[in-house]
Amino acid sequence: MKRTFALLGFTALAGFILIAVVSTQSAKPPVFQGSLIDPPILAKDFLLHDQNGQPFRLSDQHGKVVLLYFGYTYCPDVCPATLVDFKRIREGLGDRVNEVEFVFITVDPDRDTTDQMKNYLGGFAPNFIGLRDEPPVLQQVWADYGIAPQKQPGAGTAGYLVDHPARVYVIDRSGNLRLTFPFGLAAEAMLHDVLVLFAD
Amino acid sequence: MDKEILNLALRRAVIVLILSFVFVFAFSELAYALTSSSPDRDPQEIVLTIPLGTAEKIAAGQAEPTIPEEMNFVVGDTLVVKNEDTTDHQLGPLFIPAGTSASLPLQKASSFEYNCSFQPSSFFGIQVRQQATFSFRFFAIAYATPATAIFLYVYSIVALPFKKKELSTPQE
Repeated sequence: MKRTFALLGFTALAGFILIAVVSTQSAKPPVFQGSLIDPPILAKDFLLHDQNGQPFRLSDQHGKVVLLYFGYTYCPDVCPATLVDFKRIREGLGDRVNEVEFVFITVDPDRDTTDQMKNYLGGFAPNFIGLRDEPPVLQQVWADYGIAPQKQPGAGTAGYLVDHPARVYVIDRSGNLRLTFPFGLAAEAMLHDVLVLFAD
Repeated sequence: MDKEILNLALRRAVIVLILSFVFVFAFSELAYALTSSSPDRDPQEIVLTIPLGTAEKIAAGQAEPTIPEEMNFVVGDTLVVKNEDTTDHQLGPLFIPAGTSASLPLQKASSFEYNCSFQPSSFFGIQVRQQATFSFRFFAIAYATPATAIFLYVYSIVALPFKKKELSTPQE
């Protein structure tokens, strides 16, 4: 009788814990880890020039996923961190690496010359694309993507800093703006979303 | 003799288990009652709509009355910002083109003060708190009870060792 009582107690406890563990671990994560734009809209097109002086038009990238980031090479924190994330995503893509373009558009054309961008981006990955152009052309692209760079006084030899949003824009293979990645989202989560987009 | 020890050990284990559950349950509910600011609901999708004409009002220094300046959420909520305006808007990491919506999964308890294009102050406050529904507290109790029971059982063996009279039947 006592043993039966004890066995019942332990069985109840085991069931209690099993239900708790299964229930807390069965919550399904959202399909995308980034911020979904619904409905998707055609990403605004632009024509800029890359770090080799070659023209780059967004609409020519149809068929590839484009990860678009606005930053500057003298950025002390969020830009290099984002480019490290890009590098990790690129490494995680394996043999699909050529299906994604990693694009960096400067918010500081005064200092981000073609040579400066070539040297800077080359330190992260050989095929990252750095875009710049004359300020009026860039300003239109910034406006289209909600970017309003603000120069701020900075310490040190680099001179001023530039305030700018740190999100990554994700454009799918049909040229639609589908997602944004907030700064701080893990590279693995971004890679996951890119792979989900491949399945579209 | 071994069978009697086993029975005593099992009986004590069950008693300790029940006491642990009662203790953990009481402690958990007391803590919940003392910190009643924790939202008592399950995560959900919360839609914030930016009405048509908001950008014009902001440019004129007027607040859109239907948009609060601060919102409270629980971990696991998704904030969906629906932009019915003719202008693209931004909220912190979100870029919300005109005529679309953008979602922000809120996965961690924290406070945020985001730059915001649809507030005259240019800021929007978000408070994300850990949910504390009964089921959530129940699972917490389920996790805490075994550990507490093991601790109390070991303690009981040290503090109240099995007495000899418990281990043997009285001799006439």
